[in-house]
Amino acid sequence: MEFELSQDHRVLQDSVRDFVTNEIKPIARQIDENHAIPDELVAKIGAMGLLGSYLPETYGGAGLDILSYVLAVEEVSKACGSTGILISAHTSLCCDPILQFGSQEQKQQHLPPLTRGEKIGCLLLTEPDAGSDVAGIATTYRQEGDAFVLNGSKIMITNGGYLGTGIVMASHDRGLRHKGISAFIVDLASEGVVVQRNENKLGIRGTYTTAFSLDNVRVPAGNLLGSEGQGFKIAMETLNGGRIGVAAQALGIAEGALERSLSYARERRQFGQPISEMQAIQFKLADMYTAIESSRLLTYRAAWLKESKKPYAMESAMCKLHASETATFVTHQAIQIHGGNGYINDYEVERMYRDARITEIYEGTNEIQRVVIAKMLTS
Amino acid sequence: MKILVCIKQVPDMESRFKVNRDGTWIEEQDLAFRMNEYDEFAVEQAVQTKEQLGTDVDVTVLSLGPGRVTEALKKALAMGCDRAVHIQDEASAQKEPWQIAGLIAAYARGQAYDLVFTGLQSQDRGSAQVGVLLAELLGMVCVTTVIDFALKGTSVSVSRELEGGLKAAVQFDLPAVVTCQLGLNTPRYPTLPNIMKARQKELLVVPAADLLLEQALTATEKMYPPARKEGGLVLEGEIDDLADRLLAVLKEKTTVLRQG
Ligand SMILES: Cc1cc2nc3c(=O)[nH]c(=O)nc-3n(C[C@H](O)[C@H](O)[C@H](O)COP(=O)(O)OP(=O)(O)OC[C@H]3O[C@@H](n4cnc5c(N)ncnc54)[C@H](O)[C@@H]3O)c2cc1C
Repeated sequence: MEFELSQDHRVLQDSVRDFVTNEIKPIARQIDENHAIPDELVAKIGAMGLLGSYLPETYGGAGLDILSYVLAVEEVSKACGSTGILISAHTSLCCDPILQFGSQEQKQQHLPPLTRGEKIGCLLLTEPDAGSDVAGIATTYRQEGDAFVLNGSKIMITNGGYLGTGIVMASHDRGLRHKGISAFIVDLASEGVVVQRNENKLGIRGTYTTAFSLDNVRVPAGNLLGSEGQGFKIAMETLNGGRIGVAAQALGIAEGALERSLSYARERRQFGQPISEMQAIQFKLADMYTAIESSRLLTYRAAWLKESKKPYAMESAMCKLHASETATFVTHQAIQIHGGNGYINDYEVERMYRDARITEIYEGTNEIQRVVIAKMLTS
Repeated sequence: MKILVCIKQVPDMESRFKVNRDGTWIEEQDLAFRMNEYDEFAVEQAVQTKEQLGTDVDVTVLSLGPGRVTEALKKALAMGCDRAVHIQDEASAQKEPWQIAGLIAAYARGQAYDLVFTGLQSQDRGSAQVGVLLAELLGMVCVTTVIDFALKGTSVSVSRELEGGLKAAVQFDLPAVVTCQLGLNTPRYPTLPNIMKARQKELLVVPAADLLLEQALTATEKMYPPARKEGGLVLEGEIDDLADRLLAVLKEKTTVLRQG
């Protein structure tokens, strides 16, 4: 059993770290305050190959493995949770289902613009009346000649505002629940795709969280992903993979907060000593680090399982659950260690605290993760 | 044209260093290692030279050290070097610059390199000697502290950084060794696709024991952290008076206010 990253992984980690230090870290605060990731940064991320990390070279990807993807999202998220989830949602929620379920033609047509970063990908699943209850979606589709016509509304779509490529889940008969759902690859610049609004939110403020209405959106028949009625399975599979990306994001945010807490605790003196020498602070740091390392092991292992084509649904739920709660816990303690400064946005942990919170909610709330884990454990 | 780039892997400078048990080097156990920063400029310049001249250029990146240094070599390959040579030496930290340069020269001598790039110095040992000694051993021209580099045919024009903000323009013909100063260029990030492609490139391992080892000319007797300085100077009083006194201190004890 090996618990060390390979040299190849370390080269990747080191390179992404350099990129993040120079290109992302200096503007992370600006991204939060302006509610936007600059387009130039998105272009650089594409040029760096971060939008196609584990996709095969034939489709313009880098051909690396899933652990490489995790390491990259983690490094990026140490500096900026918004940019971390941009990469994660793009890769896991859009590129991955096309890679897993797409035909040869679909992969050739849709993946290269995604891996090159010309299109940013997203998944349109959630609706006003269907969140945790995915099978309850009300967006409909019907076939009309050589096209499918989609109607409905989708909300809270990460990366939606880029109007790139979307995987849209729709039903042809709501009464059939999950059996009636199909998945479509939709060009979000199509007619009938209307942005209702981009949400203002607590954290990951650099990302788009977009509400759409779909008004008679015509999708070429060739854009049906998988077969009709396979949509629910595609959604579940996609979220299984996505949870590893969210865990990597959460892990990165937590590590970023610990890093800052450690250096602050060493510098800040009270009662004639650095606060890092006070046991109350030391115990916090010990708990933070322990939670981070256990999240890391779960997350890397889930990545390894997916890479090895072994079952990983339970492990991805566990790593997402644990890493997200770790991110919340660690960023909370990070503010505490920074005292009043922690509450003020000069010190960054304030942003990290806000960014961490979402990881307990999206791609399945942590309640849903517990349902998944318990079901697999007891069945 | 054959180019050689010599790189060193050094501890991450953000690390907290401790002197090792025998007091002659640092404790390496818990350190993370990276490519020496100066060497990133050397690698970049070699790759840019290849890009400028086209396909007839072959860039070899070489590093001497224990097994871990192949990580730095892989990074250089991902930045665009064509092949890597690892002179494997678990005891490289105990060797001094003359011996290191000697081992590199022992490998490089038969290879007919036209141009050798090294970093100006290493971030850990900081002797700034290996490039210069290597040139001497190979009988090549050596130009140090280069901040601008232009190659035309076999003629090279460079700008060297001198003390006090001065620069020197120097011309010379190949073959030559060039030691690179920070700021010479902008080292590229290895992109993910290039990291993947680098895995296919040749990485030749040469045991240091197979190469001629020179006699050590110097020995490090002791490594130690500098003695802790006394607490700084604290000025107190009225603001006008404070400013005057601060000015006086700056004038007397520092060079920050001196002109030219
Ligand atoms: C910033 C952001 C980005 C997002 N990005 C995307 C995206 O890209 N694509 C997309 O499709 N969606 C996205 N979402 C939506 C997100 O996935 C949902 O918000 C999430 O799945 C929860 O659904 P809901 O909000 O409808 O909450 P609800 O399902 O209404 O849940 C409310 C509460 O009830 C609990 N609950 C519900 N059902 C159960 C149950 N069976 N057992 C126990 N507890 C239960 C939940 O855990 C939660 O605490 C995003 C949301 C946000 C805020």
